[in-house]
Amino acid sequence: MDNAAALPLVLDQVVRSDPVSHGRRRLGAAILAAGSLILAAILILQILYKADAIAFGFVTWRPVLYAYLLWAVTLGISQVLRRGEAGARALFVLPAILFIISMVVFPLLFGLYISFTDWNLSSTMGRRLNGFDNIRQMWRDPFYWNALYNMVLYTLAVLVEYAIAFGLALLLHSQIRARKFFRVVFLLPLMLSPVAVSWMVGKSMMEIRFGPVANFARWLGWDTPAFFTDPWFARISIMVMDAWTFIPLMMIMLLAGLQAVPKEVTEAAKVDGANSWQTFWRVVFPLTLPVSITAILIRIIFKLKIADIIINVTSGGPGGATDSVTSFIFREYRDRSNVGYGTLLAMVYLVMIVVFLTVLLNLFGRWMRGYDQQEA
Amino acid sequence: MKVHIYERLMAMQASRRRILKGAAGAGALALGAKGGLGALMTRASAQENLRAEILKIPGVGAGSPTDADWQRVGELCLGGTRQTVQEGEFQGVELTFMGLNNQNLHNFLFRGFLKPWEAYTGAKINWIDLAQADYNARLQQSIATGTVDFDVLEMGAPFEGDVCGKGLASEVPDWVKSLIDMDDYVDYLKAPVGTWDGKLYRISIDGDCHTFCYRTDYYDNPEFAAAWKESGGQGEWAPPKTWAEVQAHSAFLKGKKDPLTGLDAHGFLDPLKGWGGFGFYFLEDRATAYAKHPDDPAWLFDPDTMKPRVNNPAFVRAIQEVMDNMANQPPDQINADPNTTAFQQFLAGTGDMLTWWGDVGASARTSDSSVIGDVIGFDILPGSEDVYNSKTGQWEKLASGANYAPNMAYIGWGVYVMARVDGDEKKKKAAWSAAAHLGGKDISLWMSAYPSGFQPYRNSHFNYDEWEAAGYDRAFIEDYLGSNLDSYNHPNAAIEPRIPGIFQYYSVAEDELAKGYAGQYKSAQETADAIAAAWEKITDQIGRESQIQLYKASLGL
Repeated sequence: MDNAAALPLVLDQVVRSDPVSHGRRRLGAAILAAGSLILAAILILQILYKADAIAFGFVTWRPVLYAYLLWAVTLGISQVLRRGEAGARALFVLPAILFIISMVVFPLLFGLYISFTDWNLSSTMGRRLNGFDNIRQMWRDPFYWNALYNMVLYTLAVLVEYAIAFGLALLLHSQIRARKFFRVVFLLPLMLSPVAVSWMVGKSMMEIRFGPVANFARWLGWDTPAFFTDPWFARISIMVMDAWTFIPLMMIMLLAGLQAVPKEVTEAAKVDGANSWQTFWRVVFPLTLPVSITAILIRIIFKLKIADIIINVTSGGPGGATDSVTSFIFREYRDRSNVGYGTLLAMVYLVMIVVFLTVLLNLFGRWMRGYDQQEA
Repeated sequence: MKVHIYERLMAMQASRRRILKGAAGAGALALGAKGGLGALMTRASAQENLRAEILKIPGVGAGSPTDADWQRVGELCLGGTRQTVQEGEFQGVELTFMGLNNQNLHNFLFRGFLKPWEAYTGAKINWIDLAQADYNARLQQSIATGTVDFDVLEMGAPFEGDVCGKGLASEVPDWVKSLIDMDDYVDYLKAPVGTWDGKLYRISIDGDCHTFCYRTDYYDNPEFAAAWKESGGQGEWAPPKTWAEVQAHSAFLKGKKDPLTGLDAHGFLDPLKGWGGFGFYFLEDRATAYAKHPDDPAWLFDPDTMKPRVNNPAFVRAIQEVMDNMANQPPDQINADPNTTAFQQFLAGTGDMLTWWGDVGASARTSDSSVIGDVIGFDILPGSEDVYNSKTGQWEKLASGANYAPNMAYIGWGVYVMARVDGDEKKKKAAWSAAAHLGGKDISLWMSAYPSGFQPYRNSHFNYDEWEAAGYDRAFIEDYLGSNLDSYNHPNAAIEPRIPGIFQYYSVAEDELAKGYAGQYKSAQETADAIAAAWEKITDQIGRESQIQLYKASLGL
């Protein structure tokens, strides 16, 4: 094909901005202004009405939502009218942006506001700003700090889970009999709901009188196999049940990592005279480190949300020994309708998680870089 | 009636011997009718015929009722509606009904019952079905955000403070009171329950209370009786009447073997683990005998200040007794919630004594997993030789003897109409007509006898002849219902404070009690003080002045 024939085609494909007239721009601005004005007017009216400053208003906030939707439409129209082709392109992302603002940013900001209020749903006084009272209450709340302490222990247990998961992944990666069968069997706990695990394992199999696990422990010589009476034993029992459910998740990720290691590399190591341990420690393990870190991070995120097993099996007991932050917030929010304080606890926990994971990622990143340099 | 009770009753009664016994009874009845009773029967009112007729739907032993049965019962019980409402009078009226969908009962029944009502009156009902776990949050959020979007509400009495106390409910009209014969309610469901500031807001459709269950084989056991005397035990070896005796028996039984199972014997079973606030009822069971003085309707808070009484000597004694009894409990008891103590321990043959709602009795006789069906006895909650008088700050011995105070735990479900219908007379009448239909005297008998989610709550429900005529086992029904009836009509019954957020108080108390039982507080007093401090915070948060006002109103002061 010669260049002369190709040139008109290329020119046709160039997107050129429409010329946007001054009047069209003004129309777009006017439509947006009208939409904004309606939204602002309805919002202010409703705020004043709800604050008892004026006698007329809407029974619910629904009209404000309608005004917001109208404003979103006028924003879209004004984009096209004022910016032409560029505005039309903006329309592709505008709904997504507005959706995120509506469903993520606004609730987050509203949640932040709620967390600085005294809002008990049973209170006749409704919601009241109370400054930093909730933070002060949290600071003095032994239940919250106890739950945070437990979370540290639960999170540390991820390292043990990782070691077990890696071992299982290696086992399933090796040439063992019935490998496919075991892959499915090992994944079964992950398919179970933690609530089902709570009842089947925690409240049935580990039940002191008739549970098969308890009977086995009795057969081994433990007279009173109470798994949830002693605080430390109760914590460990919760950790074991949670680990049993989620180790398969780490295992399957690590197995995928192992399977991605090129065979040539391990074979080369063997040719160079490396034994099995050296091959694993110097070749396979470093190559699966990124997967390992991902698996550990995902598992930590799951662990930080642990609540269902605790709520069902121990209700946080004995004496708060197994309480997690989430199970405590659940009680504070659901059982005690303490919305303001419960939201603050959740917000603080969110910040803690974000900071913790950021620091963890940073540390992992540095460690990885250090490992690479060491290897080099 | 709770569904599992019904199913177990049916399982129990499906024996050949009982069927033959029923047939013999029917034959005797027929003979009696010929021999002179016939004249009496002919004078029986139409209402009695109706009651007998609806109790045959679908018939005891004929399987669980279906929607068709509910509709048929609803149709047959429309008499009250026909008396008070013209056909088609509510044409164009739409009502929204919010209730539960537990076990496919509650709202499911109401739909069936109200279908003929809708057809007759012309009104239309829209339904909001909620799971039990979602109920509290949904109701509280509606109240707190001012979005009450229902006209008729199925609600437990403990929430009356949240609804009636905030002026959200409509007062029961006089025509409804007489139509459904509210005088027939058992005593504790009469005012002040259902009332605020002297105004009535509730139509009861359920009853609840805790009773005392014990093992008769423990007390018929001659070895235990001899050992009890040898050990210097006070009085005869007989079912305990006071909590002091419960404690003594529990300590005595330690180290002995259960006469039925041969396993370790245990005395009273205290649930030591929380149960979403409901676990606190079981500490109350022990405490009411000490804390509920016959001259004082209040027992949980001081009505003038809302100062908690949970750390007074009466409650501290109850907490201390629980702590003392821990040494006699089965292993791992600290992880046993009320459900465990009742259904996994007591019914399975562990423990001599228990407090629970009425359904443990029914399950004991009929559940496949129960081994104590023939060795269970019932009574009202144990009492105390002395009672604490919060006004004088002294322990008192009553001239009448031991103090008893059955715990009316949860009080039961009711139907309420919301105040938002008050502005529209037609809609208001429609809402109350629908509520009255569900709370009618005859339909309530059917709900007591068949799976509905509700227990008997009217004096007329304890007419055992009706149950027997319907096909129920007389001895069992007397046993099952009698223990509840004595509690319901007790003059010193401890009625739950129907103040806003009552389950918040219970929930936080469970947390503190758990710490106390785990030894994290130095004493029962310190545990009780921690609960009281937490309760004070809740009261301040909800609003002390309004709580005082509402608490007084709930007590009828």
